[in-house]
Amino acid sequence: MGKYILKRCGFIVVVFLILSFLMFSLYNLIPTDPARQELEPQRKALKADEYQMLYQQLRKEMGLDDPLVVRYLRWMGLWKDTDGTFNGMLEGNFGYSNLYKRNVVDVIKTPMGNTIFINIFSTIAALGITIPLGIFCAVHKGKKFDSVTQVVTMLGYSIPVYIIALVFMYLLCVLWRVFPIMGTKTPGAEYANSWEEFVDMLYHIALPVIVMTFGSLGGMTRYVRSSMIDALGMDCIRTARAKGLKEKVVIYSHAWRNALLPVITSILGWFLAVFSGSVIIENTFSLNGMGKLYWQGLNNMDFELVLAIQMFYSIVSLVGSLLIDISYGLVDPRVRVDK
Amino acid sequence: MAKNKKGFFLTRWFRRAFMGTDQEVRDIMQEEQVQTPFRTMARNFFAKHTVQVGLCGFILVFLFVLIGPRFWVLDLSEQDSTLINLPPSNNMMSIPAEMKGKVADIAAGRTYGVGLDTEGKLHTWGYTKITDKIDIANIPDDVQNADIVMFAGGDDHVVAMDDKGQLYVWGNTRLQQGNFTNDMKKAMKAGGEDWDIIQLEASNQFSAVVSSNGMLYLWGNANVADIKLRKQYQGNVAKVALTSNEYICLLKDGTVAYTGYKDKGSAFAAIPETLKNTTVKDIASTSGTVAAVTEDGRVIVWGNAKFGEKNVPDFKAPVKKLQGGRFHYTAILENGDVVSWGSNKYHQCDVPASVASGASVREIYVGNFQNYAVLEDGSVQTWGLKGFLLGTDGLGRDLLTRIVNGGRVTMTVGAISVIIATIIGVLLGGIAGYFGGKADLLIMRIAEIVGGLPFIPFAMILSAVIGSRLDPTQKMYLIMVVLGVLSWTGTCRLVRAQILAQREMEYVTAAKAMGIKERVIVFRHILPNVISLLLVSMTLDFATCMLTESSLSYLGFGIPLPTPTWGNLLTGANNSVIIQQYWWQWVFPAAIFGVCTICINMIGDGLRDAVDPKSQER
Repeated sequence: MGKYILKRCGFIVVVFLILSFLMFSLYNLIPTDPARQELEPQRKALKADEYQMLYQQLRKEMGLDDPLVVRYLRWMGLWKDTDGTFNGMLEGNFGYSNLYKRNVVDVIKTPMGNTIFINIFSTIAALGITIPLGIFCAVHKGKKFDSVTQVVTMLGYSIPVYIIALVFMYLLCVLWRVFPIMGTKTPGAEYANSWEEFVDMLYHIALPVIVMTFGSLGGMTRYVRSSMIDALGMDCIRTARAKGLKEKVVIYSHAWRNALLPVITSILGWFLAVFSGSVIIENTFSLNGMGKLYWQGLNNMDFELVLAIQMFYSIVSLVGSLLIDISYGLVDPRVRVDK
Repeated sequence: MAKNKKGFFLTRWFRRAFMGTDQEVRDIMQEEQVQTPFRTMARNFFAKHTVQVGLCGFILVFLFVLIGPRFWVLDLSEQDSTLINLPPSNNMMSIPAEMKGKVADIAAGRTYGVGLDTEGKLHTWGYTKITDKIDIANIPDDVQNADIVMFAGGDDHVVAMDDKGQLYVWGNTRLQQGNFTNDMKKAMKAGGEDWDIIQLEASNQFSAVVSSNGMLYLWGNANVADIKLRKQYQGNVAKVALTSNEYICLLKDGTVAYTGYKDKGSAFAAIPETLKNTTVKDIASTSGTVAAVTEDGRVIVWGNAKFGEKNVPDFKAPVKKLQGGRFHYTAILENGDVVSWGSNKYHQCDVPASVASGASVREIYVGNFQNYAVLEDGSVQTWGLKGFLLGTDGLGRDLLTRIVNGGRVTMTVGAISVIIATIIGVLLGGIAGYFGGKADLLIMRIAEIVGGLPFIPFAMILSAVIGSRLDPTQKMYLIMVVLGVLSWTGTCRLVRAQILAQREMEYVTAAKAMGIKERVIVFRHILPNVISLLLVSMTLDFATCMLTESSLSYLGFGIPLPTPTWGNLLTGANNSVIIQQYWWQWVFPAAIFGVCTICINMIGDGLRDAVDPKSQER
């Protein structure tokens, strides 16, 4: 098992390097010149040749003329910078946001917290609903409740999440005024303590979480249901029943453990889809999250910020796949033997 | 089980004579249920109710989107400030029933009409709401009680005058539409000759009256319109014609003059030479042009004609009277014919045949896009803009047109990206599955990486970085490619798994034994066996690609505006004003899109059940 995890970790590091290099090259396709930008304010005061000299000097200082690979390694923090120090991502320097005029690390902190919070929240909520629902539907296959659920889940995964969001907004914000329509806190609110602040945030985040959960219900329920039906059709289930085990034990211990295998592999997909979907949700609800920040950064050509967030998304997906692999190994003994 | 259809006996003989009895033999085979797998699949497929519903729904939406753009032609530069945020309606020219046959006077405004019946009661119809709170239909009580003799409808307000010369203004009065000038108040008080009003006009936030002694009074929002009159013309005005923010006057000596202060800066100040030597008997205006009718019945148009207002048709008779809409003119000729010309976007110029010639037209009234012709027998004929079936958006564009054309874009993008994804997936999956080894390892690792990327953020950055230098058409192709390149992994995995299973089968061994090339075995022998499953995944991917495209467009990183797609029609819909007040702007695109994807998914599910009989048990 340990060897297997090590192997996966090594694979992930390689993939991360490739991905980040691709992203960095992509980013370098954009015709920008930071040196010229830096000099622009002083341009009028300088003579042409002076300007040219300063410009060249600055380019050298910034290391803009070095080959792409060197610049990439510097950005990652694996190569000495022009001033001889290591100062890249691995050292915690994610660059400077032109949009916010602050270091990216400082810009990203709060949104990242928000995003992770709502994503984990809604993933847990979705799993908590879909797994029992899927099992129930599989056990009561063909009954009325099952058919209704099939239709509803079909709607759930066919309709894009922003339309679901609009409908929920209309019902819950406009018609019944249960939740606020956007933002992460009440404008102009003064909090007596951090608990109040937290409650206010929960109140604002509730609707996005509901929408995200609802949006991911459809596909997940169907998947749980179909893998559960497959598991219920196995010979071991018949054996278990023949042994005279209680139906509860048969379903939750014997069938569910077999159904869990395909479900676990697809949890990664769901988790990533939720992260992907949170870009849409955060923009729809104007939440201060990574997705919103990403959107702003792309719209304002603030590419250092975008690149940092993109790295965050890549890491999330890679770590997610690692976790899935490990848990897969834990659940299914055959994997351990295999590799 | 096929029914034994006998048919008409001659046909049966004919068939037997020329095609032999082969047909009957096949019939026996069918009765014994010897069917190809594809036929079984098709039968299973069409037998399901969800599939039938899904197919019908999808075909309807597809035909709607395919044929629709021929009828609702998209104009990307379309916008009109007078038509913004109109709800679905079809009643802009429906005169109320209690007014039928008793029409005394009509004033046609922007999207509404005001009418006076012979009993002196005012009616309104059409879309009368100016804002959430202001509604033209709320006619003030003192107006209803007064004896109205003259009234005019502007863009956002209505002006009326009673028999005592008292003026009333209602509708939007927040921009001084109701503030009379001091001169007017003086004249109104004095009454008599000074306030013997012969003409009342209203336009975009300003209004005008002309009295019989040639005095012209203008009032309203002076910030948008040139509503001052040069002193030398005062007392000399016979008629006024208001454009959207200027006006011209017909003077008492039969000449036309631009009497405002803008003078040289105005397109209307350049009065055509041909008018200088003739006497003008009538003037009219659209929003951007003015027209004069000369004594001998010719019409001369000048100003900023954008929609063919200057293409005056050849009249059969001299023009008697001329009226202007927003982009069109309607004229009555001396012989009673009615002619319209100018912009025909909303059929403003399609004069009904019963009115066009031979009818005894008493009077015509022209609104922005509406025309009313009152005949001598009291009946009213209308032509022009009735309303928008699905409303308009924030720029005054017809939503139906945009939904139809947007659907075409969304479906095209979805289909092409699925094809791209399938081609990549089949090629790589085929290679990985059949050849295995290092190729398999590499391809599956790549697929793992690509499949593991968060989709939307990645597509966004590709679209933003590569697409920043592309024009809208190229960007559309870019989106297709990006979607295709990012979503091939599922197909690839499916094809690989299928090929791994098929590779061990006897027919492959047989093919190998016959010395057939490996490439041929993969793509000509194995692939056809995989194709049914491939079809399933393509159908489901089609819905997914449409969803992704629309999500990207919704975020502003897909197909750029003003090209419509079902996604970017909903951009900006996430605020409470649109959600609540302009519900049609998001409900209709969302509904048709939802219906379309649900239908596709139904078809895909049914197809999967038909292809894989085992899954039917689920």
